[in-house]
Amino acid sequence: MTASTSSQSSLPRWRRYQPDQQWEAYLFLLPSFAGFLIFVAVPVVASLALSLFEWSLLSPPEFVGFKNYTQLLSSDMVFRKVLVNTFYFIVTIVPLQLAFGLLLAVALNQGLRGLEVYRLIYFMPVVTTIVAAALVFQWFFNRDFGILAAAIWEFGAETGIPIRPPDWLNDPDWAKPAVVILTLWKNTGFTMVIYLAALQGVPTELYDAAKVDGASAWQRFRSVTFPMVSPTTFFLMVIQMIGAFQLFSEAFVMTQGGPANATLTIVYYIYQMAFEFQRMGRGAAVAWVLFIFIFIFTLVQTRLQRRWVHYEAGGES
Amino acid sequence: MQNRQWQNRFSFKALIVLALAALLISACAPIAPAADSGMEMADEGPVTITWAMWGSPAEVATHQSVADAFMEEQDDIVIEILAEPWGDYFTKIKTLWASGDSSVVPDVLFLSPIVNYASEGVLENLDPWIEASGYNTDDYWPSLLQYAMYDGSVYGFPRDIGLEVLYYNKDIFDEVGVPYPDDTWTWDDLAAAAEQLTVVEDSGRVSRYALGMEGGKWMIWVMQKGGMALDDMRNPSSCALNEPGVVQAVQFFKDMIDNNYFMPPANMSQAGGDAAVFQSGQVAMIIQNASRVSAFNAAGMNYDVSVIPIPADGHRASAAGGAAWVMSALSDNKEEAWTFLSWLQSTNGGQRIYTASGEILPALQSTAKSDAFLNSGQPPANRQAFITEGENARMGRIGYFVEWSQIGGSFINPGRDQILIGEVGVEEGLNSICEQVDAFLEENGFPK
Repeated sequence: MTASTSSQSSLPRWRRYQPDQQWEAYLFLLPSFAGFLIFVAVPVVASLALSLFEWSLLSPPEFVGFKNYTQLLSSDMVFRKVLVNTFYFIVTIVPLQLAFGLLLAVALNQGLRGLEVYRLIYFMPVVTTIVAAALVFQWFFNRDFGILAAAIWEFGAETGIPIRPPDWLNDPDWAKPAVVILTLWKNTGFTMVIYLAALQGVPTELYDAAKVDGASAWQRFRSVTFPMVSPTTFFLMVIQMIGAFQLFSEAFVMTQGGPANATLTIVYYIYQMAFEFQRMGRGAAVAWVLFIFIFIFTLVQTRLQRRWVHYEAGGES
Repeated sequence: MQNRQWQNRFSFKALIVLALAALLISACAPIAPAADSGMEMADEGPVTITWAMWGSPAEVATHQSVADAFMEEQDDIVIEILAEPWGDYFTKIKTLWASGDSSVVPDVLFLSPIVNYASEGVLENLDPWIEASGYNTDDYWPSLLQYAMYDGSVYGFPRDIGLEVLYYNKDIFDEVGVPYPDDTWTWDDLAAAAEQLTVVEDSGRVSRYALGMEGGKWMIWVMQKGGMALDDMRNPSSCALNEPGVVQAVQFFKDMIDNNYFMPPANMSQAGGDAAVFQSGQVAMIIQNASRVSAFNAAGMNYDVSVIPIPADGHRASAAGGAAWVMSALSDNKEEAWTFLSWLQSTNGGQRIYTASGEILPALQSTAKSDAFLNSGQPPANRQAFITEGENARMGRIGYFVEWSQIGGSFINPGRDQILIGEVGVEEGLNSICEQVDAFLEENGFPK
């Protein structure tokens, strides 16, 4: 602090930082703020109004009050299925992604040689285009001609065990896990990188002290690593949960929401309503229900975090 | 703590200034095009008609050659093409219409399904134009024009008829020693041939299916049995999928899949679609419209086509439908748009060029029965199969009202999936579809 103050006073007066003179800052913010206003804020408010209308995009909107919401919540059986599907994806994807991410990060944090290579390999899916990845996975999962199925058929033929590969994308019970696998493959690298950064911030003295006390590797993980990275876990949990709520591309490309609506998610349903069924108002209503869900879940998580998230007081920061 | 102070100082005044600045920026945008169109008004020359369609690069090249041919014949109208990929086309067109600005909305467009747009009032009613010019609408295949009608009026001209035929791989039939399909084939003949054509390895893996077909085409079997999705495809009062004929048709379809004769539709789309699995020999037959002919010819396949086998107690039932050319109600140059539109849909105009390209079965019977289609010198040899199916075309594959897309997308297709997978029995599944469809119809005030 003292160093920067002294360098400030050596500047001419007009270039010195003055706390009450911030219009330059607003000027610099303007481009991004204007973008936010035009492409985010205004459409968001407009969509709330839109959800009270029936609108096919082509003819003038017709005011219907809360009908879109009441029908959605009372008689729309597809919406119920959509909620169940989305819930399934949240309770599978979020914990698995956190567990695999942490596992990989801990493994890569052992001072392996060629760490950068592994990090690159695991992070590669994150920067891969989801559409390309989903198309490849579609082939991968095909029961008759896919590589995964081919291996299982081959295994069955060699050993004489009558084993059949699951009909991944045709069978509603298997299509959901298929989407989960693709999502994990795609996003675990991100979780891993964030955890890796968190792990590198855990002071080694803590491990040394634990070792002196005779703690086993598991106990050190349980009582040192886990609490020390809990703020990161919390951050990732919130982010991944919102991500799981918004699951779309994976299902859109790989399963088209099928079979029998088994992989139809909330965001997919918004898309269907608005652009396939030409019901913009109903689509907007689903979007607002989604917003309320995400809001409530995030709020609950923020409340619950006090019970388990451990913030290190003081430290370097 | 520092953060909080900073937030407090971020005054509302600053926010308002930002908001106003943003509004100013956004308000500037529409001024420019207005000045542009003023310039065009002063210009006395040929009228420009914007012509919009979706398509692959190869298809767009065909459209361009059609536009070139038209411009060569006359000097008063210039055609400007606006082509978008299928995935973006409809969103783009709807957004242009929603803007209400006639200078950006195309004059002549390729659309489907017509009723969704006609009911919104964005399409020009073509009846007065047909009457004034004496355009011959009797030349269309039976029921085909119905596809482009709304409230008793014609709103578009289908370019082609998307009816299906049975494509078969002659090499595989020769290898197995199964006689080629012909007009006499029934469902039983199809199943008997399929049993021989299917190859199941010892492990249980199917390395060749007899038949592949997109799941959405299942209504072929239903309609051959005299069934329909709804009691009235324009203004329904109830679902008709629980009729006995429909149950038998779906049972036939499901048995074919369960016996490994039929590649499950989702597997087929994962494996690249019907054209891909047919070309690679993973299936011996597919059921598809004329759009595959040019690809199979380019690949040099040894194939032919036949009519689709029917049940012993049923009848041929092709789908009378196809994307249509329409005129925008907002067009500033309707006279010229009509000139182009009627030229497009004439045997000496666009129809002949599209037919010669091998991509379509033309909407006009006179074009289909001309040398351009029947004697093009290209495979398939048995082009008469298309004519036979065309003469039996009927409506009923899809609903001609806006809510149909939701009925199909939310209830019928997922319900059909459940039946074919075996999650529910055929009859039970069809009843459950009908319950949902009936509830939906009632909730939305049908019949209207």
